[in-house]
Amino acid sequence: MLSDLNYLTFTHLASLEVGHHFYWQVGNLKLHGQVFLTSWFVIALLLVASFLATKNIQRIPSGMQNFMEYVLEFIQSLAKNQIGEKEYRPWVPFVGTLFLFIFVSNWSGALIPWKLIQLPEGELAAPTNDINTTVSLALLTSLAYFYAGFSKRGLGYFRKYIEPTPVLLPIAILEDFTKPLSLSFRLFGNILADELVVGVLVLLVPLFVPLPIMALGLFTSAIQALVFATLAAAYIHEAMEGHGGEEHHEEHG
Amino acid sequence: MFDFDATLPLMAVQFLLLAAVLNAVFYKPLSKAIDERSEYIRTNEVEARERLAKAEQLAKQYEEQLAVARRQAQSVIAAAQEDAKKIAQQKNSEAVAEVQARLEQTRKEIDEQKQAAMTSLEQEVDALSRQILEKLLGPSLANR
Repeated sequence: MLSDLNYLTFTHLASLEVGHHFYWQVGNLKLHGQVFLTSWFVIALLLVASFLATKNIQRIPSGMQNFMEYVLEFIQSLAKNQIGEKEYRPWVPFVGTLFLFIFVSNWSGALIPWKLIQLPEGELAAPTNDINTTVSLALLTSLAYFYAGFSKRGLGYFRKYIEPTPVLLPIAILEDFTKPLSLSFRLFGNILADELVVGVLVLLVPLFVPLPIMALGLFTSAIQALVFATLAAAYIHEAMEGHGGEEHHEEHG
Repeated sequence: MFDFDATLPLMAVQFLLLAAVLNAVFYKPLSKAIDERSEYIRTNEVEARERLAKAEQLAKQYEEQLAVARRQAQSVIAAAQEDAKKIAQQKNSEAVAEVQARLEQTRKEIDEQKQAAMTSLEQEVDALSRQILEKLLGPSLANR
């Protein structure tokens, strides 16, 4: 009797619903409601943390301000390392928000037992395990580096396609498609795979065995957020400098 | 799984909004705070360094003054010792001279008295010898 009950709850906790969505209909647009619900949670978390950190800024930081300053300096150093000392400042909000949003999304998916909240259809999970989210972030990254290239170098930005040699033109064009593709699929695949692995393991061995995998999942999630933000910054830098690289930024090492 | 719909653009818009809001409430104020703090620390450090340099300079100056004062004190002491020695020598030599002079004078007086005594003795010797002679030989023989 008791074991039956346990089995039932665990199967419920571990049930996987890939491909089922909690649809919202807005006009004649279809939305994935569960993605928005968790992303709003993530956004609220970020906003509350920022608000707590900046509501009373002190010269000597303490508590939340200290923590968020640490976060900000981490983001700034990430952007600085990739984009370079001179240009990184306007890109900190974009790169930083990418990192924070993806990181908090991933960890919320791994740490918060969303599945305890019942939805009519589909299930709550990290916003980043929906392909729409990762593709939208990757496309924004593409737009960002195109914007960076054009605003920095004007039409000279197109020189990068033929710069070392026009022979590489197809590859250079292909790169613009592979970049967002690899960005979005890397993140999507990692997060979804992690949740699937944990789900399957929980289904098979409900106790203790999934814990190392969950810990590994936390690690992967953090790494994926870092990789996404770092690559976005690197692409932006590349677009601003061009392949030829008139001025290299190695001096900040 | 690969089910694209209006979630994609809305998520992008939402993300941009989040970036804008975070820029206003997080990145800007906190980087401003960090910059101001590093500025504050830098100016303070510069000031402190200046003050330290000043203090070191003052200490050096005081030490120099101290050295000068010490040297002066030593020379004053040396001069005083020299003076004292000179005065002592002078007094000493004066005393010696006075003693010498007194000695000389006394000796002179003694000589004079001796001389006087001798002359008076000599005169008396003559008279005495005559008397002795008269007594021995008689006045007639003696006055011959």
